Amino acid sequence: MTAIAAERYTGASIKRSEDPRILTGAGRYVDDIKLPGMLHAAFVRSPMAHARVLCVDVSAAQELPGVVAVLTGADLDAMTVPAPDPLLALIGGDGPTPEFTLLATDKVRLVGDPVAIVIAESRYLAEDGCELVEVDYDDLPPVMTADFALDPSSPPLFANLGDNISRPHSRKEFGEVASTFANADRIMDFHIDVHRHQNVPMEGRGCVASYDADLGLMTVYAATQSVHITRNGVATRLGMEPDKVRVLAGDIGGSFGLKIGASREEQAVAAASRHLGRPVKWVEDRAENLTVSGQAREESFDVQAAISNDGDLLGLDVKMVIDTGAYPGMGTMVPSIIEGMLPGPYKLAALGFESTGVITNKATYVAYRGPWASETFIRERILDLIAKDLGLDPVEIRLRNVAPRTDPPTMMITGRPLAGTTTKESLQRVAELVDLPAFRRRQAAAREQGRYLGIGVATFIEAAPGPRSEGPGGALGMESMRLRLEQDGIVALFTGQMPHGQSHQTTLAQIAADEFGVPFEQVRVVVGDSDVVPFGLTGGSRSATMTGGVTLHGTRQLKAKVLDFAAHLMEVSAQDLVISDGNVWVRGDPASAITVSEVAGRAAAGQFGAGVDADLEVEATFDGGQGGWSGGTHCAIVDVDAETGLVKVERYVAVEDCGALINPAVVEGQIRGGIAQGIGAVLLERSAYSEDGSFQSATFMDYLMPTACDVPRIEIEHLETVPLDADVNFRGVGEGGMIVAPPTVVNAIEDALSPFGVRIYEQHLPPARILELIAAADPGHSRAER
Amino acid sequence: MADITLTVNGATRTGSPEARRTLADFLRDDLNLTGTHVGCEHGVCGACTVIVDGRAVRSCLMLAVQAAGSEVTTIEGLAPDGGLGTLQQAMWDSHSFQCGFCTPGFLMQATAFLSEYPDADEQQIREALSGNICRCTGYQSIIDGVLLAAQRNRTLGSRELSEGAT
Amino acid sequence: MKLPPVEYEAPTTVAEAVDLLAEHLDEASVLAGGQSLIPLLALRLARPELLIDINGIAELSGVAAAESRVTIGAGTRDYVAEESWIVADALPLLAAALPLIGHEAIRSRGTIGGSLAHADPAAELPAVARALDAEFVVRGPSGERVIQAAQWFEGYLTTSRRADELLVEVRFPAAKPGTGVSFQEVARRHGDFAMVGLATSLVLSGGVISDARLALAGISDVPVRAAAAEDLLTGERPSAELFDEAARRATHDIDPPADLHGSSEYRKTVAAAVVRRGLRAAADNARERQ
Repeated sequence: MTAIAAERYTGASIKRSEDPRILTGAGRYVDDIKLPGMLHAAFVRSPMAHARVLCVDVSAAQELPGVVAVLTGADLDAMTVPAPDPLLALIGGDGPTPEFTLLATDKVRLVGDPVAIVIAESRYLAEDGCELVEVDYDDLPPVMTADFALDPSSPPLFANLGDNISRPHSRKEFGEVASTFANADRIMDFHIDVHRHQNVPMEGRGCVASYDADLGLMTVYAATQSVHITRNGVATRLGMEPDKVRVLAGDIGGSFGLKIGASREEQAVAAASRHLGRPVKWVEDRAENLTVSGQAREESFDVQAAISNDGDLLGLDVKMVIDTGAYPGMGTMVPSIIEGMLPGPYKLAALGFESTGVITNKATYVAYRGPWASETFIRERILDLIAKDLGLDPVEIRLRNVAPRTDPPTMMITGRPLAGTTTKESLQRVAELVDLPAFRRRQAAAREQGRYLGIGVATFIEAAPGPRSEGPGGALGMESMRLRLEQDGIVALFTGQMPHGQSHQTTLAQIAADEFGVPFEQVRVVVGDSDVVPFGLTGGSRSATMTGGVTLHGTRQLKAKVLDFAAHLMEVSAQDLVISDGNVWVRGDPASAITVSEVAGRAAAGQFGAGVDADLEVEATFDGGQGGWSGGTHCAIVDVDAETGLVKVERYVAVEDCGALINPAVVEGQIRGGIAQGIGAVLLERSAYSEDGSFQSATFMDYLMPTACDVPRIEIEHLETVPLDADVNFRGVGEGGMIVAPPTVVNAIEDALSPFGVRIYEQHLPPARILELIAAADPGHSRAER
Repeated sequence: MADITLTVNGATRTGSPEARRTLADFLRDDLNLTGTHVGCEHGVCGACTVIVDGRAVRSCLMLAVQAAGSEVTTIEGLAPDGGLGTLQQAMWDSHSFQCGFCTPGFLMQATAFLSEYPDADEQQIREALSGNICRCTGYQSIIDGVLLAAQRNRTLGSRELSEGAT
Repeated sequence: MKLPPVEYEAPTTVAEAVDLLAEHLDEASVLAGGQSLIPLLALRLARPELLIDINGIAELSGVAAAESRVTIGAGTRDYVAEESWIVADALPLLAAALPLIGHEAIRSRGTIGGSLAHADPAAELPAVARALDAEFVVRGPSGERVIQAAQWFEGYLTTSRRADELLVEVRFPAAKPGTGVSFQEVARRHGDFAMVGLATSLVLSGGVISDARLALAGISDVPVRAAAAEDLLTGERPSAELFDEAARRATHDIDPPADLHGSSEYRKTVAAAVVRRGLRAAADNARERQ
C-alpha cells in the first residue's frame, strides 16, 4: 500500500482505509464469526397477526437430532428480567408503557412475532426444528388500521393499556394560530398520507452471544450502531452488571437506524447462550428482516394552511396520526420531532400541531434514516399545491417564503434559530443548474408527442447536529473520545462511533492526521469494543460535527501533551517544536527532527521524574461548538409513461450545504444513497399488510428495492457554507438525501401529470397508482389514441 | 451426503455437504471463505454471486453438490496474492462502496461481465449490474469504478499489445 | 431460509431420470437451472421428497436446426440459447425475449426447458412458446410423446407433463421470410417478471400481414393467444387504427389476476397499450429484417 501524500487530508477525497479488506472479502461481519462449539438459533414465529397463545408443544422439536434446546417464551421469562427497550431507556419514550414478555407467551401481536427459540447444530436444523414446534393459537380480530386502533372497541393489543393508543393525543400551538388563520386571505385543506416502508440494509440483524460460565462474562458479537446501548440492553435483560457484558462489532452491512440496542431476538439469543453455556449465533434471514425487524413512516396528516394571495405561507395547523406498530419503538417520539421541524427554513408565523400514536398488529415503528422526514414531505408538497393554486412558480414561492439569513438569526416559531442556513442560495443555484425555461420548452414539445416530463424541486434543513441555542433542542450533547499516542507511533482514536458505511475510520483519521501532523496511515480509528471505547452512537447525522469536533480538539490536546513530553526529551521549549509528516523538530532546524514513533517509544520505555507526563493519552469531550444546520435543495426531472404508469427519473440535481467537508467522496456517497432510498420509497417500496394482518412484502420479489437502472447519475454541488464555529464546521449529511428526495420526486411527478389535472396527496406512486390518479383526475383521458 | 471435489480459487477443495446445502453456505461455512455474502437466499439481491465455470451465478441458487467438478472463483480469488486486481483498485479509487456487504456480488458480477464485454458503455453496465442490490451508494460510485476498470484494462491491454509487437 | 431436508439424485441419462420419475411421481421435482425451484425450496413453499438433478444429462443440451424447425434441448442454458447464432437467425422472437429473463446470473443457470416446465404465466418463454405453437417433447416410461403448446400450459404453474415424464426438448418453427417480432414487457424494474408481457410475431408479405401471432403474459394463469386480434390482423396492412382495434380485441374480455404490483384493472389497461406497442415494434422489425 503506497503512502497517501496530501497537503492536507481534510477536504480531500482520501481513499478509504476500510476498502482493502472490503474489496478482498476480508471484512468481518457478524455472520462470519465462528466460535468453537457455536450453535445456531432460529425462531418459531406466529403466522397470526393477533391471537392468544393457548399452548406451545416443543416435544417433537426437542427430539429432532441436532436440536440442542428449545426455549419457549415462558422458559425465557424465567431466565431473564423484565426490561425496557434499551434505545427507549436511553432517549425516553413518549407514552404509556405496554407490558409484554421477551418472546410471546400469552399473546402474539403481529405476523412473525417470535414464540420460541430453537437452538441446533446448524441453522438448517434449527429451522427444521421450528417446523416441529406446535403452537395452538386462538384468533383475535387484527387491528390493521389507525381508524380501528382509535376505535375504543378495537381489541387492545396490550392488556395493561386497555386501548391501542401508543402516544395519547396532545396539541401545542406556536405563535398566534387563531388570528393568523382568521386574517389569512385563504385557507387550504389537505390530507396527506405517507406509506409504510423500511430500512432494508443488505445485512439483516444478528449476533453471536457467547457466555463464559467460568468467568460469568457475556460476549456479544453484534451488528449495531452503538456497542454500549447493545451492552446495556443485553445486561439489563439478563440481570447482569454491564461490566460483565462485552459487545464487539466489526464490519456491519448497513443499518439506517435499524440496528440500535438489542432486539427481543438478540436478547433471547444471549439468554440462550447463558443457559447452554455455549456460543449461539442468530442471523435473521430476509423474510425475518422484512417481516418483523421494524418498519417506518406510516403517518397521515390533515393539514390546514393559512395563505396570502401572494403566496405567503403564514400558518399551518397539522393533525398527525402515526401507526407505531405493535411493540414499542421510537415511533412515539417522531411526532415531537416533526412538530419542531415543520417550519423548516421558512418564515412560518404560526403552527398548531396535534398528534396521536396508534398501536396495530404490525412491525414496530423503528428509526429509519431521517425519522421525522414527513415534515419535509408535507411542507414541500403543499408549497407546490399552493403554488399551483395561485399560479406561482415552485422556486418562486419557496424564495418568497424562505426566512432571510440575519444576525442574530431568525427564530423558527418552534424555538430553534435558523443560524447559517443557505436555503435561498441553494434554491437559486438549483434554478441556475437546471435551466427551467429550457426544460419547460422541452416539456411542451414532449407533451405534443404524448410524453409526460415533469420537474420537481424541494428544499430542506436537517439538524445535523443543529445550532447551539438556549431554546429547545439547542443543547447538542457531549461526545467523548480517548486519544493515545501508541508506543509504535500510531495515533489511536478510541470512539464510540460505530460505522456501518459512514467511513469514520477514514474521515476521523483525516482530521487527526492534519491536526497532529502525521501521515494518514499513522492514525488508527478504534471502534466496536464496549470494553475499550467510550460511550457513543452513530446516528442522527451527528458524527461529522460531534465526532469530527472531538477528534479535532482532542488531537490538539494530545499533540500539546506530546509536545510537552518531546520538549523534555529534546530539551527545548514546547513552543519551539513543530510536528509534521510524522516528525517532531525544532522550528527552523530540520536536522533536529526525530520521528513521532521515536518519541512514543521513548515515552513508553523510559521512567521519568515528577513533572514529566509520559502518559501520552487524553480523554477529550466536545459539546458540538456552535453546531449548525445542514440542508439543501434538490431537483428531479422525471419521464412518466401515462399508458403504463412507469416513471423514470431522468435527471437529479442536489445542491447541498453540509458545512465544511471532511471527505467529499464520502459526503456524496451518503447523499446519493439517501436519494436512492427516497426514489425507492416513491416508486417501489411498500411494507404491505392485508386486512387480515398477513404481511405481503416478505421477499425481495414483493418489497422492491431500487437498482442501478432506477437511480440516475446524481449531480451534486456543494455550497460554500456559513461558518458558525471557530474550528468545527463539519456538519452531518447522512439523512438529508432520504428526507428531501421523496417530495422532490413526487413534485416532479405531479408536474409531469399536470395536463391531466392530477394532484398528489401521498408518497407511494407505483405504476398502478399513477394510472388511477390520471383516470380519477381526467376520466375522459382516452389512452387508445396514443 | 456425497463427497465432492471442486476447484475454488485455483485450489482443490473437498467436502461432504448434504444435498440441500447451498453453494453459498458451503463456501462460507465448510470452506471458510466468508467473503461471499448472503443477502436474501432467494436469488434476488446478488450479494452471493460467484463465478462458476466462467459464468457469474447466484451461489444461493446452486446446491453445493451441483458444483462438484467445477471451477469456482470467489472474491477471495480475484486478486494477485496480497494485492488488488484492476477492478478492485478502480473501485477503491472510485469510492465505490460504503458498508461493503453487497461488494462481493458486485465484484464477481462485474468481473464476469467485463471479461465478456470489455467495452461496455454506462447503460450496458447498469443493466448488467441491475441484478445486484446496494442500499448504501445509489450505484453511481460503483458504476464509476467499473468504467474506470474497463478503461484501465484497455490501456493495459493496448500497452501489452504494443509491447508484444516489438 | 434454509432448504428443507430432501433426497437427491443426479442421473446421467434420460432413461435413468425417467425411471426415477416413474418411481417417485409427484414426490419428486426435476432440478434443472434451479432459478425458480430453489427459491421455492428455500421459502419452504415446495417440499419434494426427491430432487432429480438433470444438469448432468448431456443429451438434454443443444440447439439444432433442421429444415423449418429449431430443436432446443430442455437442459439448454438460457445464455447458451442467447449466444446461439441459430436462435438469432431462425428464432428472432426467442432471441428478443431471452435478454429480458431476469439477470445475467439467472441466465447462467436457468434453462429453456426449466422455464417452460415451470410455466409461470408471467414469464417470457411460455409466451414465446405459445405464440410460436412450439412443440414439447416429453419422454416417459412408455416412450415419447409430442404436446402442442396450446395443450402444454394447463394452469398456473401446471403443465400437461405427467409426473413420470421428463421434458426433453422443445421444437420451434423457424421464422419465415418477412417475419417481424417484438417482445414487450411492462415490469416494475429491469429484469423483473412482467406485470403484462406480449410476444408478437408478424409475417409481412408485400406489405400485408399474412400471419399474426400474439401471446400475452401475466394476464391469466397461462400465456394466452389473442386469437380475435390475430384474426383481425391477418390479411390487413399495418396501421395505427388497425393496431388500436387489435388491442381492443385482444384485451376487452381478459380478466387478469391482481397482486401487490397491480390490480386486475391496471393489467387490463396496460395490456391494451402493450399490444399497440408490440404490433408497432413487430411491424418495424419486419421492415428492418427485410
